[in-house]
Amino acid sequence: MNRRQLLTLSLLAAGAACAPSIAAAEEHIVEMNGLEFSPAELVIRVGDTVTWVNLDVMAHTTTSADGSWDSGSMTKGDEWSFTFDDAGVFAYDCTFHPTMRGMVVVE
Amino acid sequence: MKKLLLVASLAFAMPAMQACANDQGPTDMQIAHIAYTAGQIDIRYAGIALKKSKNQEILDFAILMQRDHKAVNDSALALLDKLGATPEDNPTSQSLLAQADAKAAELEALSGAEFDRAYAENELAYHRFVNDTVENAFIPAADNPEFKALLGLALKTFQAHEAHAEMMVEAVK
Repeated sequence: MNRRQLLTLSLLAAGAACAPSIAAAEEHIVEMNGLEFSPAELVIRVGDTVTWVNLDVMAHTTTSADGSWDSGSMTKGDEWSFTFDDAGVFAYDCTFHPTMRGMVVVE
Repeated sequence: MKKLLLVASLAFAMPAMQACANDQGPTDMQIAHIAYTAGQIDIRYAGIALKKSKNQEILDFAILMQRDHKAVNDSALALLDKLGATPEDNPTSQSLLAQADAKAAELEALSGAEFDRAYAENELAYHRFVNDTVENAFIPAADNPEFKALLGLALKTFQAHEAHAEMMVEAVK
């Protein structure tokens, strides 16, 4: 190993040691089951992804009140994901079943 | 008069359903037939609404009724198929169909806002009536656990429809 290689290795090691710790983005699941979102309220971090899974026999949507997302019709077994890049409180519902309501709090 | 007609028709149908449910206790296959028939009836009402109404809220609700009741009925048929069972026709189902014929004729004779109001009110009353029967007569009487669970899901679905129908009634007042 020559001096240049040694220098490169030591710089890499130093860089790794000094790198700030960054929390990995997480995946969250919300089930559509029995005409309810479960969990109905979810607290996540910026960069996390939420996947809605329809377990009901009837079609549902996940549709945000502010227009940020709209899954369109999801039939039984369908999954649909959305990554939250901004902090905020996001209310959503199923456009087919207005009594189905949920909320995602992004910190 | 419309309200009187509605009350009269429900009063006629309710004892028939409860007699079937209480006197001898309906079998699962009788319940399945009645529940399937009730779903088909609401699909029929929705078809009338889609043909006659121009109100977007009514049209959306009617599409939802067709979609949800078909989904629940398809699930019921799939379960019965799995169990190797056949729904059993009975006087309650026949009574419901006779009532539906009368109600459909009544709705067909209306138009415009008058139709929208009548359809919305009927949907609310019909779902209240069906939900009460499913919750208090059918679920307690059902024997097969999978069938009982399906009735539970159907009830939640129809309760959501009832809440939705309440909003619709207010919207078309």
